[in-house]
Amino acid sequence: MASLELRNVVKRYKSQTVLDNLSLSVADGETLVLFGPSGAGKTVLLRLVAGVIDPDEGKIFIGGEDMTDLDAEFRGVGMAFQNFALFPHMTAFDNIATPLQAKRSSQNAMKAGVESVAKLLKIGHVLSHKPRALSNGQKQRTALARALVGSPPVLLLDDPLRNVDAKLRFEMRLELPRLLADRGATVVYVTQDYKEAMALGDRIAVMSQGVIMQLGTPEQIYREPANIEIARLFGDPTINLLDIKPSRDAKGIYVGLSNVQVHLTGAYDATVGRDCVIGLRPEALRFVDEGTPAAIPVTIEAETPLNEKIVTLVRTVRGREILVSRPAGTPGQTEGSAHIAVDGKSALLFDRASGDRIGAKNVVNLHSGEAA
Amino acid sequence: MEHTSLLERILRGIALTLVVIFFMFPIVWILMMSFQTNETILRIPPQLVFKPTLANYTALITGKLTTAAGTLDIAFMRNLWNSVFLSVTSVAVALLLGVPAAYAFARHKFRGSEDIAFTLLSFRFAPALLVLLPLTLYFQKLGLANTYIGLIWVYQLICLPLILWIVRGYFEDIPADIEYAYRIAGHSWFATFRKIALPLAGPGIAAAGLLAFIFAWNNFVFALVLASADKQPVTVGALAFITSSGIQYGQISAAIVLSITPTLALALYAQRYLVEGLSLGAVKG
Amino acid sequence: MSQSALSISGVDKFYGPIDRGVHAVQNLTMEIARGEIVALLGSSGCGKTSTLRMIAGFEEVSRGTISVAGRKVHTLPPVKRNVAMAFEGYSLYPPLTVRENMAFALKAARLPKSQVDAKVASIAKLLEIEDILERYPSSISGGQQQRASLGRALIREADLHLLDEPMGQLEPQLRAVLRGRIKHFIKERGLTAILVTHDQTEANALADRIAVMEGGVLQQFDTPDMLKQRPANLFTGTFVGEPPMNVFEAYVGTAADKINLRLPDGLSLDYDKDAFSGSVRDELLKRQRVVIGIRPYAVRRSKDGVPATVSANQWLGDQTHIAADFAGGSLVLVEHDRTRLELGAPINISIDPKNLHVFDQSSGMAISHGMELA
Repeated sequence: MASLELRNVVKRYKSQTVLDNLSLSVADGETLVLFGPSGAGKTVLLRLVAGVIDPDEGKIFIGGEDMTDLDAEFRGVGMAFQNFALFPHMTAFDNIATPLQAKRSSQNAMKAGVESVAKLLKIGHVLSHKPRALSNGQKQRTALARALVGSPPVLLLDDPLRNVDAKLRFEMRLELPRLLADRGATVVYVTQDYKEAMALGDRIAVMSQGVIMQLGTPEQIYREPANIEIARLFGDPTINLLDIKPSRDAKGIYVGLSNVQVHLTGAYDATVGRDCVIGLRPEALRFVDEGTPAAIPVTIEAETPLNEKIVTLVRTVRGREILVSRPAGTPGQTEGSAHIAVDGKSALLFDRASGDRIGAKNVVNLHSGEAA
Repeated sequence: MEHTSLLERILRGIALTLVVIFFMFPIVWILMMSFQTNETILRIPPQLVFKPTLANYTALITGKLTTAAGTLDIAFMRNLWNSVFLSVTSVAVALLLGVPAAYAFARHKFRGSEDIAFTLLSFRFAPALLVLLPLTLYFQKLGLANTYIGLIWVYQLICLPLILWIVRGYFEDIPADIEYAYRIAGHSWFATFRKIALPLAGPGIAAAGLLAFIFAWNNFVFALVLASADKQPVTVGALAFITSSGIQYGQISAAIVLSITPTLALALYAQRYLVEGLSLGAVKG
Repeated sequence: MSQSALSISGVDKFYGPIDRGVHAVQNLTMEIARGEIVALLGSSGCGKTSTLRMIAGFEEVSRGTISVAGRKVHTLPPVKRNVAMAFEGYSLYPPLTVRENMAFALKAARLPKSQVDAKVASIAKLLEIEDILERYPSSISGGQQQRASLGRALIREADLHLLDEPMGQLEPQLRAVLRGRIKHFIKERGLTAILVTHDQTEANALADRIAVMEGGVLQQFDTPDMLKQRPANLFTGTFVGEPPMNVFEAYVGTAADKINLRLPDGLSLDYDKDAFSGSVRDELLKRQRVVIGIRPYAVRRSKDGVPATVSANQWLGDQTHIAADFAGGSLVLVEHDRTRLELGAPINISIDPKNLHVFDQSSGMAISHGMELA
């Protein structure tokens, strides 16, 4: 088994820098998810590790060994591609067997190896098929089997669930962690789906334009995003972002939401009078009765259920739109006017100019203010 | 899945028939001429019904051409053999050199690679006659004039660019990820070339090879200038039928039939690959 | 009020000769009231797009009738049906700007310029395309093109608005808000909309009623809640709902005053006979084998439940998905809190009969749903 480390890696294409002095280390047995929009450099990073492209600067270590100048076939990594990259002229069996072939395994060992991994991935019955006779789900599993079969210490998975339908994606998402844990491999997993990132990653590296914007556990990324961009990328429905300007009164720092003063606790002294953005997760908002302290009056625009949640679009008296989500089956208003309250657990404050999150404390505590 | 009316189908049938007649007419006419004597061919108006004769073919195969002025020796069978030998060898050499080169151009973009590839293609732009004069002088100096080796070498001007550029396109159409996957599985670049790139570009290579073969087979000028009678292919050999006592249309037709047979057979045989290759069905699995 | 906006009656669609060609839509009958939002939901090839195209008039009706607002339209050309449509491939007019695309039908209807401008402005604001109104379709992103195409359909006044996969390409960060706004817009103006989608989250979010189609046949036409609570058959049961319903084959047995549903490899769910209403109990006891289904959010952890081990525990920010293996199978459960369980950890799960769906093993038709239990 092996750890993985990238040290000051730079990759340029023509004049464009796709990876900008990037350093990253993945612990032995860890699953690191690279998350980001297309063009962020995730796939390039994987290919550098695999050794199919070379960095312009920097070093790559696998298991502590410098692999920078080693060709792909000597690095001993396994990789699954987004478009599967199956060999169209070979059967599923031969596809999966290619890593064993390279190791000059005996026929028997090869057969045993392929069949056991095929059984694990439930494709034992299609091993004699050529890729074009496989369904998308089977192709994806074949590609995964090919990556796993040689028990490589480092596994690179390039958005492997991208091209399968929602049901299969969900199934595989639940299946993968155990599969990976059983192998004990160090995994780098690329995805554009935040749910996949949170479900599979021990840590997530959020990439944008060739740099890592934030690296942390799913918990940290979701609850303490480094900036607005990251806050918007994680969560469905998306986080509510409202322009505010914190003020100070006798009781401390507060923000005004629809004429209601919501007091903040935390090291926000420096934010007074500054242009800020407050981020409120839809699930951190709830409907309350009129008269509840700090209840914000709203009118309900529409209710749109979403996977066992009810998402409600409401409009404040000042015309701002806010999304509120609650578990399906829990009571809530469906039309007319209503009141919402902020659940103090996950309000986030960002600097409007830079977009960076403010506050040394991880979680902002809001306590009830009084209606103005 | 639109269903078609009867009228539409009839019109389509008529249109197809017209096109087929238009394209097939010369070939059918030549086939008919090859079974006629010069007298029946030149009769006016031409007749569709005639008494077929194998005399033309016999003359070609035995090499004895009887004309009004007497009997001539011709080397048609020798020419045919030369054509086969020259074309096959040229294409083989071009494939051997061109396919790896095409792979290199497709996969390894280096400074100037585009320029080199284009230079190779530009050989085909130059009119053959322009190249021929200096080439003849060189070949005479080098002792390559009137040798098979010399001819095959010159034929590379025809075959190599063709194969290089067509096959390169096929290699480029193979997703790089497929080759990466094989490398990462632990195979060398050469194994990847042999086991992945070659089979996947196979239909394209076959198509390019066939095309190069047809071009080589049809070549006239190079062979006319650089080869003497015993090394000449059919295209040049056909000149022998223009005799002092007239043009031997019957024998020319028979010669044409015999000389297009190999290419036609090859094209029919390779049709499957051609269609597959040209539609690239194999790669987009 | 409940005047019919769309009435489809006994409609068949054949590609190729009638009765011999491909039977893409089979004997479809649907009634849609004015002001309703209806989703045609199904996977590709289920007949939903053919149906939409027949309503719009791009596809001939092989048999049956289609009426829009009480007017038989199935023999009329598209332009005479008073139907607006947003196309899946956007189909924006490339030489026109986004503004001109949206205003096109209004101008054709000779609406005064001031009105056209006002309408374009309000729709543009709704869809957040104000800043690209003067751009051409080729210079904007897929998501923006989709919004422009949606705007071009919504801006029209028509008896029916047909939306073909209207939101598939939308930027995920905008999706939730836009869904809310569009639903509000349609409801506020009392428009009738039919959307075709393969994405059940979209159907659930927008539609009052969903028509689930498969193999050219309408499987069920009901509200999102009813589809989840009372799926008509195993297909709708497993197709609708995300994460999908957990499904097991089970043997029906009786012991004393119990009915037990035994999974092939051992696990047995025992319920009091009295727990089932009379008719359901009779239906159940007539059979030896059934298929049982339980929604992931209806599976609970409880001390006296069936022992199982955790095989996945995934927190998505606002939900936790847990997969658990037990004797003879595995299932998925969803909890709304952050649950932390180690892989391999033992848990106990219980399946409340109130949440159990029972289907016939051969036909797949529903026998009982939790709510029918006594």
